[in-house]
Amino acid sequence: MSEKDANPSAKDALVGGSLFGRWEKLRGREGTVVGITAVLVAVFPYLFARAPVVSGILQGYQSLATLILIWGIFAIGFDLLLGYTGLLSFGHAAFWGGAAYAAGIVAKNVSGDPIVMVVSGTLFAVLLAWVLGFLSLRRGGIYFSILTLAFAQMFYYMAASPLAFLTNGENGLTGVDVGSFLGVIHLEADVPSVGGMLLGTWLYAFVGVFFVGAVAVAYRILNSPYGMVFRAIRENEQRAEFVGLNVWRYKLMAFIISGAFAGVAGSLFTIHGAYVPLQSLFWTESGDIVVMTVLGGAGSMFGPVLGVGLYLYIENIVSTIQALTIPFTDIVLIRDFGFYWHLLLGLVFVVVVWVVPDGLWGILTRLRELAVDLGSEAAKRLRSRSGNGGDGR
Amino acid sequence: MTLLETENLVKEFGGLVATDDVNLTVEEDERVSIIGPNGAGKSTLINLITRRLDPTSGDIRFKGESIVGLEPHEVVQRGVSKSFQTASIFPDLTVRENAEIAALASERGAFGFEFLKHRDSLTDVHDVARDTLDSVGLLDRANTIATDLPYGDKRRLEIGIALASDPDLLLMDEPTAGMSPEETKSTVELIEQVKRDLGLTFVLVEHDMEIVFSISDRIVVLSRGGIIAEGTPDEIRGNEAVQEAYLGGVEL
Repeated sequence: MSEKDANPSAKDALVGGSLFGRWEKLRGREGTVVGITAVLVAVFPYLFARAPVVSGILQGYQSLATLILIWGIFAIGFDLLLGYTGLLSFGHAAFWGGAAYAAGIVAKNVSGDPIVMVVSGTLFAVLLAWVLGFLSLRRGGIYFSILTLAFAQMFYYMAASPLAFLTNGENGLTGVDVGSFLGVIHLEADVPSVGGMLLGTWLYAFVGVFFVGAVAVAYRILNSPYGMVFRAIRENEQRAEFVGLNVWRYKLMAFIISGAFAGVAGSLFTIHGAYVPLQSLFWTESGDIVVMTVLGGAGSMFGPVLGVGLYLYIENIVSTIQALTIPFTDIVLIRDFGFYWHLLLGLVFVVVVWVVPDGLWGILTRLRELAVDLGSEAAKRLRSRSGNGGDGR
Repeated sequence: MTLLETENLVKEFGGLVATDDVNLTVEEDERVSIIGPNGAGKSTLINLITRRLDPTSGDIRFKGESIVGLEPHEVVQRGVSKSFQTASIFPDLTVRENAEIAALASERGAFGFEFLKHRDSLTDVHDVARDTLDSVGLLDRANTIATDLPYGDKRRLEIGIALASDPDLLLMDEPTAGMSPEETKSTVELIEQVKRDLGLTFVLVEHDMEIVFSISDRIVVLSRGGIIAEGTPDEIRGNEAVQEAYLGGVEL
């Protein structure tokens, strides 16, 4: 190779550098974030469930893609409370399940319009979060967590029997008839043409719009005065009070906002399954959302969604693996591998929290920083080589 | 005009009387230092005024209105700000954000519903934060994460946070505690500069007598929860009771 080749490649690196720089500038913009989210949401079910090779490896399916987005909305809202405000609620099942029941009951008794279901479920969750937040936030730390847990369990037992005439008790709310969107589009139907290849069902598209909306709203909240105040409360609650902020009301707002996200997600969950299991109010749901959020990375915007993805993937796909074999052979490593999915999930959780406390998102952040470092290093080296011109030759 | 007034203020912890019938007045534009041996009740008095503690009896008035019964943030909103004994900052936020939090509270009130409003549009908050950081000499470190600052700068930031709340009365609890001689010197300069530039009314709790005697218009001496003497630095210097009770007879 002659030295002539060295110069263009150095120039490429510089152009690449400026492109990269431009990207770094765009990266934090609201429009960029929402746009990229929309694109990812659009291609996700295709890659997950239909694309050749990729989907074959992933073994994903359409309905799970929808479920991941639904829980993703829940997790984004939960992280506003846990990751940003520093409040650990162990009672978010009340808002998730409460909204799911509210949406289901409205569908059975008033209207099965999906929009009506989401609005009523979310309203119910917001009102409930207002009341429970008002009561639970009187105490801090562990007492707050226990209070939320206790209130949420109260709702579980209420739904199980005293309110069985509304909730259908242990059997869960069956026979929820989800109507068509705007009276024309059946959500279970496939989206026609290219949209169908990418998105699959109308239901996914419907949920996807809410997901992108949730990302946009959460991102805006984080960039509003609230985002700053939430983090200030997490960092030093006493100081926040002593600069003149009404910490109590801001904490209540954080609680209500995260309740609203849980409400949207819970309502969509009912639309997705046309059924509300009693389980949706049980404390394990509150635990799941904590695990998902921490696994993905509390205190980051998208980390919790990754956590949701990994959790649901292990729960729904890894758990169906009969026997773990060495790839491309028939040699069996572990029989009934899927049976141990809880154990696997526990191991993954422990390792992630131990090695990278900021979760899956923390791993990505570190990889990105590494790439930036290597990139700038390489560009520097190339530049100095081209500057020296053929000294070595 | 009287800015701050305590009337027969008493605070008891169990059987211990930490604040014993204190009648303190602070006039506008006055620089008052509170001194006293350890356990004299200086911090308790400050904590009563900022509403961190409830008084057992007595009244506290700010600008003529009682502030007993208000929440701490309401007292701050009225115009009483406090700088803490330790560097009480928001460690994982940038220096700029630290100042912006306080500026937000002073410019936009204790609470608002602007959760869908982008921060970039809050120009008044940004201006106050910038001016404050400028006046405490941290503007060039604005993008630093606060926890990465050296200790002296953290204390400057802490004072900056208190100033960004735009107070009429600033309570400073041992602003030079734990500082090196150089840091102490620059902090004293900072206090004097702030006093000149902003014309603030101060109440200073401080152990360093050199600072107290150079900065104060008036000194209040506490011992065992009660005021045993008050007056100008010269009067306090010559006061025998003070030398007995507090300074142990050492000539100043």
